[in-house]
Amino acid sequence: MKPALLKVLLGLCLLPLAARASDASLVGRWRLNTARSTALDGWSTADVVIALDGSKVTLRYDMTWHATNVTASNTVDTALAADLANFFRIDQRHMAVYARPKESAHVTAGWLDGGRTLRIEALVPVETSQGNTTMRLYDEYRLLEGGKELLLIELHSTRERPLVYHFTKVPAEAAKK
Amino acid sequence: MKRILFSLALILSLAAGLRGAGPAAAYFMRFDLDWRVAGGLPEKAMLISLQGLANRETGQFYIIHPPGYQWEITEPLFEFYQRKHGVKFTELKTADEALTQFKSVPKGYVVWDKKVGPSLNVAFTIAGLEDAVVVSEELIPLIQAHGLKPIDDLRGRYTGQTDAQIYQDAVNRYWARCTKDAYMLMGGHRGAVMMPGMADWGVKRKMFFHDLAANPEIPAELALERKLLSQLNPGATAFGWHPYGKDTEEQHTTLLSTYGYKMEGLHNLPNLSFNCWFSFTPGFTFTNHHNVAKDAKLVPQEKVYLSFVQSDGIGIGVWTKPGRGKLPLAWGAIMGWVNFSPAALEYFHESATPNDYFIGGLSGPSYMYPNSIPAARFGPLMKEASDLMAKLDERVFEIMDNTAADGNLGNADLTKETVDRYYANFPDVIGFINGYGPARTRDLRDTRPLISYDYYIDPRRPREEVVADINELIALNPVRPYFLLVHVRESNDVNSLVNVLTQLTGPTEVVPLDVFMKLAASKQTYVTRYQHPDDPKHFKGF
Repeated sequence: MKPALLKVLLGLCLLPLAARASDASLVGRWRLNTARSTALDGWSTADVVIALDGSKVTLRYDMTWHATNVTASNTVDTALAADLANFFRIDQRHMAVYARPKESAHVTAGWLDGGRTLRIEALVPVETSQGNTTMRLYDEYRLLEGGKELLLIELHSTRERPLVYHFTKVPAEAAKK
Repeated sequence: MKRILFSLALILSLAAGLRGAGPAAAYFMRFDLDWRVAGGLPEKAMLISLQGLANRETGQFYIIHPPGYQWEITEPLFEFYQRKHGVKFTELKTADEALTQFKSVPKGYVVWDKKVGPSLNVAFTIAGLEDAVVVSEELIPLIQAHGLKPIDDLRGRYTGQTDAQIYQDAVNRYWARCTKDAYMLMGGHRGAVMMPGMADWGVKRKMFFHDLAANPEIPAELALERKLLSQLNPGATAFGWHPYGKDTEEQHTTLLSTYGYKMEGLHNLPNLSFNCWFSFTPGFTFTNHHNVAKDAKLVPQEKVYLSFVQSDGIGIGVWTKPGRGKLPLAWGAIMGWVNFSPAALEYFHESATPNDYFIGGLSGPSYMYPNSIPAARFGPLMKEASDLMAKLDERVFEIMDNTAADGNLGNADLTKETVDRYYANFPDVIGFINGYGPARTRDLRDTRPLISYDYYIDPRRPREEVVADINELIALNPVRPYFLLVHVRESNDVNSLVNVLTQLTGPTEVVPLDVFMKLAASKQTYVTRYQHPDDPKHFKGF
C-alpha cells in the first residue's frame, strides 16, 4: 500500500474518533465568573449551556443586559465545516459592530487535548460604519482541572488582546431552577 | 429732591443691570449627602419646599451641595453669582434659621407620610398651590414653633393604596389648579432614599408632582399619566426624571415625545427657582470656540479621525474633573437653561478652555426622542431648538433616540423620515451627530454629514480594553479616512483618555467636532444608513 493512501485511510479512521472525543464533563450549564474574566461590555450576565450529540456540539448562550434577555445557540459539528446563520458571539456592545443575521458564518470545530478542549474557528460577517466585512474568530473552550471550570479564550483577527472568560459549572439541580 | 430721587433710581437700575437683573442679596445653606427617608430627607424636603416659596417673587435662597452630589456645579456657581452678579450671600446654618428668615413666606404646612413615599409628591403639589412647606411628623414641633398652621395632613390617607390610586386622588383634588405648561415628574430615587432636589422649581411654578410609571406592565399608572399628558398645553415640559425601578428612561422619554413634550432633568437638579432670576451679565454673548469657518471645505488625509463628545447634562461629572482642556471635547450644553438657568450656562462658557466646544441638543430644545415626535410638533420644536442654538453660537446638533433601545444599548437609530425632517429644519448647522451608545444612522447631504457614535466609553471599562476596542474598530474600518465618533460617558476621566490615545494604531488624529464634521463632509467613507424595519428593537413602544 502506498504511504499516501495509508495516510488517507488512517485519517478517515481517526476522524470520527476525533470528532467524538469529547469529555462528558463539558455538558451542562456554565456561568461566567465576571471577577476573573475580561470585562463584559454592555452585557450583565452570561451563561453557556453545552450539549453533545455525536459530533455535534450545541452551545447555548443565555445573556442579559438591563431588562433584555438574549438566548442564542451555535451548533457546531466537529466532523464537518458548516455555514451557520445567526452565529452568536459575546460581542462588545459599545462598539458599532453589528451582526448580519441573514448571512452565515463559516465555522469549523474540533477537539483538542484529548477531548478537553473544543476549538471553534469562524468567519463572522459583521457590519461596521464603512460597510460589510468579516471578522475571523478563534475560540478555545478548555475544560480545566477538576472539570468544574471552563475557560473560553477568544481571539479576533481584528483585536490585539484575547478575550478571556472563566465559567463555573452550575450544579445540575441549580441549573434546572 | 426729584433730582436726588432720579439719581438714586438711576444708580439702583444700573446696579441691577450690572447684576444681570438678579437679586443683590440672598441666603444660602449647605446640604450634606444624607437623603435617607429615615435620615436627612425630611428636613431637606422641608427646606426645598421653603426654597420654592422663598424664590417665588425674587431669588432669595440658594442651596450648595457637597462634592459627591450628582450636580457638582452648585459651589462654582455660588462663587460665580458673587463674582459676576455681585450677590451678597448670608449663610443659614440650620433649618430653624431658615424658617426664621423666611417666616413670612409660607402660609402653613402640609404633613406627608413617611410610610408612603408618593405622599411626599402630593405634599409638594399642595405646597405649591397653598404656599405650604412640607414636613414629616417629627418636624411638626419645629414648624409650629414658627407659628405655622396645618393646611393638610396626609398621614394615613394613602395607606395601602397603589401609586395609581394615590395620584388619581391627587388629580381629583389638585390637578385643575396646577399649571398646564409643565409638570414635575419627581421620580428618580425611590424607597429608602429620595432625592427631590428639583422640587423647589415645581413648588415655585405650582406644578403637579408625581412619579407615575410609563411602563406598559403597570397599565393603571400609564393610563393616568396619559390622561395628564393629554391635558398639558402644547410645548409643555416634563421636569424631573423617570422613577427608578418602575420604568426606564427610554420608556418615559418615548412617552413624553409621543406628545411632543420636552424632558428637563434630573429630579435632583437644584436651585432652578433661584437661578431663573438671573439673566446673562450685561454685554455677555455666547461665543463658541469654533475651530473652522462655517463655510470652510477641508481635505481629509488618509488617517483615522477621532472626535470626542460628552452629551450628558453638562453640570454632571466631567466638567469639574481634572484634565478637561487636554483634549478637544464637545459638550452638549443644556439649551433650555437659556430660559431658566442662564447664569449656569454663562459659568460654563466662562470656564471653557479653547478645547471645549458646545453643541446643541438633545434631539430638540431639550431631551426628546425624535422618531416618536408627532409630525405636527416637529417643526415648532426644532424652530425653538434652532433659535436656542443661534443664541448659544452652536453649529452642530446632537440627536438621540432610544425609543427602541434598552438602556444605552440596542437600537438607537433614526428612521429616514426623521433624518429628512432634521435636514429640512436645520439648514444652518454644519452637521448632526446621533446616538448615545453606538448607532448606525449615517448620511451626507450637501455639506452636512450625519454621523453616529461608533464607540461609547463606559467609565467602568478597563482602559486596556478601551484601547483594544478602539483599535479593533480601526481594524474593522480599513478605508482611510475613517471617521470615528466617540461618546464619553459623564464620569469618565479625561486624563485616562489622553493615555488611551497614546496606544492607538495610527495614524490617528483627535480633532474638534466642528473640524470632524467638515472633514466628514469632504469625503464620505461611511455608508448611508437609516433605521431598518428588520433591525432588532428592544422596546416595542406603547
